[in-house]
Amino acid sequence: MTQQNKSSVTACETFEQELVLYYYGELGNTERNQVDTHIAGCEPCRLYLKQMASVLPITVAADDPPQAFWDDYSREMRHKLAALHESQSWWRSLLSSFSPWMAPVLATTAVVLLALTFNFGNKAWRANELPQDEESFMEILPMTENLEFFSNMEVLDAMDMLESMGGQANSAA
Amino acid sequence: MKAADEELVALAKNGDTKAFEELVDRYKQKAYHIAFDFARDREEAKDLSQDAFLKAYMNIKKFDGRSGFYTWFYRILVNVCLDYRRRKQRAPVESYEEKLESGARLNQDPNAVPLPEQLVTAGQVSRKIGAALEALPPKQRTAFILRNHEGLSIREIAQMMQTAEGTVKVHLHRAVAALRQSLAEFA
Repeated sequence: MTQQNKSSVTACETFEQELVLYYYGELGNTERNQVDTHIAGCEPCRLYLKQMASVLPITVAADDPPQAFWDDYSREMRHKLAALHESQSWWRSLLSSFSPWMAPVLATTAVVLLALTFNFGNKAWRANELPQDEESFMEILPMTENLEFFSNMEVLDAMDMLESMGGQANSAA
Repeated sequence: MKAADEELVALAKNGDTKAFEELVDRYKQKAYHIAFDFARDREEAKDLSQDAFLKAYMNIKKFDGRSGFYTWFYRILVNVCLDYRRRKQRAPVESYEEKLESGARLNQDPNAVPLPEQLVTAGQVSRKIGAALEALPPKQRTAFILRNHEGLSIREIAQMMQTAEGTVKVHLHRAVAALRQSLAEFA
């Protein structure tokens, strides 16, 4: 029953957001005075404010880890910082090996390399294409599949020839 | 005599990790507690705060000294925590049982020996609060944590979240209304 009463506390709709800001001290003087005047004569809004004051502070979780936790924390941090420092030093030493005057030289080299790559890359790509002779060879290849057909044709030709020879022999006789 | 933050930052900019370690020692507890507000898990809070320190170390040369080191670091830390929330939003949701376990872990303190019933009650309260916060939409939760836990102003939150102040006010109001409802029994 008590719980029901507590949860049923509602503030005036127009003042609800103002009450939250009032609680957190986020209102200007004029608005704060308005809320002060209002809650002086409004029981539900007063209760609403009271409820906020009792509920909201308990939402802050208090965690107090033991000393061992802090010792671990510091040790881990030292390791992580050392590892980070190490990796950063490696990069720094690499970068510092390049003198400022080398920048244009490196840029030019990069452009030349890019141009060469493009040029030779293009040629290499073309080289991958089939040469003319091979292309014609590829055209012939399917024809070899018909070789049997041609050999059959040759047999037929030979038979025609034999027949014609036979005809000539008969007429001569 | 302790070196000022500025001196340590100057040394760290020249690659002095010992100087940066000193800064870590100064702010690790604050950083951890902020990360814990977002993660509500000891190991994750440790990882998040350490990540923020590493990011700060990597970018220390960009720190121009217009603000204090902690103010600058704080922004990095909150951004790391916001990224974590976004990642977690995309990742599969932790089961309720897992939440119960992490809630129980929260209350483990080897120096204190609480009574079993105290442990159960404290664990239950913590779990309910954790679940209520977890149930908030990410933007509402972020606005709420930054205001309620971290004490940032609406303007600062708007900058952090890269949104309008009016939007932050709406997020905050909705978050408070939802929490007030779900945690009414503790009022």
